[in-house]
Amino acid sequence: MIPYAELEDFFSSLVATAQERGIACAITSGMACVHFGVAATTKDCDVLCDAAKSEDFRELIAVTGLRGLLPTYRGNISPPLDARWMQGGWTSHFTWKTKPEDTCLDIFGIAPRGSSPWHQELRGIYAAPNVVAEMKRTNRDKDWPFATALGGQMLDEGNVNGWLHLYDLEVLRLWSKQVAPPESLAGSRPLLRLVPFADTLRVKRLLLAERVFWSELDELRVKIYQKHLRSYTAAVRGASAGRRNLAIAESHELRLECALAHLPTQPLRDYGMERMILEAKTNVGVTVGPDVLEWLPVAENHFYGL
Amino acid sequence: MNTDPSASSIPPLTAAQRRRLGRIMRDFHRRAFGEELARINFLPEAQRKLAVAEMIDHARRNGVKLTRPALGVTL
Repeated sequence: MIPYAELEDFFSSLVATAQERGIACAITSGMACVHFGVAATTKDCDVLCDAAKSEDFRELIAVTGLRGLLPTYRGNISPPLDARWMQGGWTSHFTWKTKPEDTCLDIFGIAPRGSSPWHQELRGIYAAPNVVAEMKRTNRDKDWPFATALGGQMLDEGNVNGWLHLYDLEVLRLWSKQVAPPESLAGSRPLLRLVPFADTLRVKRLLLAERVFWSELDELRVKIYQKHLRSYTAAVRGASAGRRNLAIAESHELRLECALAHLPTQPLRDYGMERMILEAKTNVGVTVGPDVLEWLPVAENHFYGL
Repeated sequence: MNTDPSASSIPPLTAAQRRRLGRIMRDFHRRAFGEELARINFLPEAQRKLAVAEMIDHARRNGVKLTRPALGVTL
């Protein structure tokens, strides 16, 4: 088993090398959370990469060995690491066939729910807490405490945008007794108008509504991408003709052909972001209640780069 | 609510405020992640990363699978 510390060094070194070569990229998700003081149990790495630099990054990955092993694309499902698909929010997967478990790297060009250019607010080899926290607004319950923890840390560093990431009533209530959120943020997150959050049942209900809203949006997003992957995966399987562990260069050419035939480059844009938001709001209206809709956060700005 | 429209950073905090805010976040970490992870989260960086590494490796040695499926889309 490769120790976690070695894996962390390996991925850190890969991203540092890429940055030295002018490839804007950053570790995000679990490993970034650990760096920022929120322990996460992950051994694999998620990296944001400037979509325009996809080719350079792919070439670097292809020659980066781990314990003498070179990586391959992971499974038939992985879209190609190519600027056209990365700009559309697809994720490319790579793996080093280490024993007893593979070592995996996921790469994406767009930070899901990102509201700002992530590459302009790097923390060394890591994406900024703001970016990581936005990515944690998923449809998985376990992710939400991470967002709150990162938001608290941003506030501790003096960054008022931390208020946008607090999803815990007690944290909201107690923080607001010390420092009030600026009025300007209520435009993005209307719930902040309820400061000092004394009407606890109402705040709890609106926090629930916010989470359900982001969760519904996330579910829709994933479904939109997955709809196209079945035919693409079958095409890659057919084109590979049973040849496993193809070198990245060879596998990439094959995936490009399949992607051109089966994967739209901009599925979310094709579907329509406003349509997604409307559908998510409709679902919140049914599951939580129509009275909460006016309190939902503004999601229109959270498709940065798409 | 702070009505200064240009507020983009929090005014400097007093030492007492900082202590109170630190307590708020520590309590949250205990509630959200449990006592042990909360302890780890507030360790200095080098010790924190070492503790996380030990925790992850211990889990893997005992058969916990931490690799996520490849889905073609970011979860």
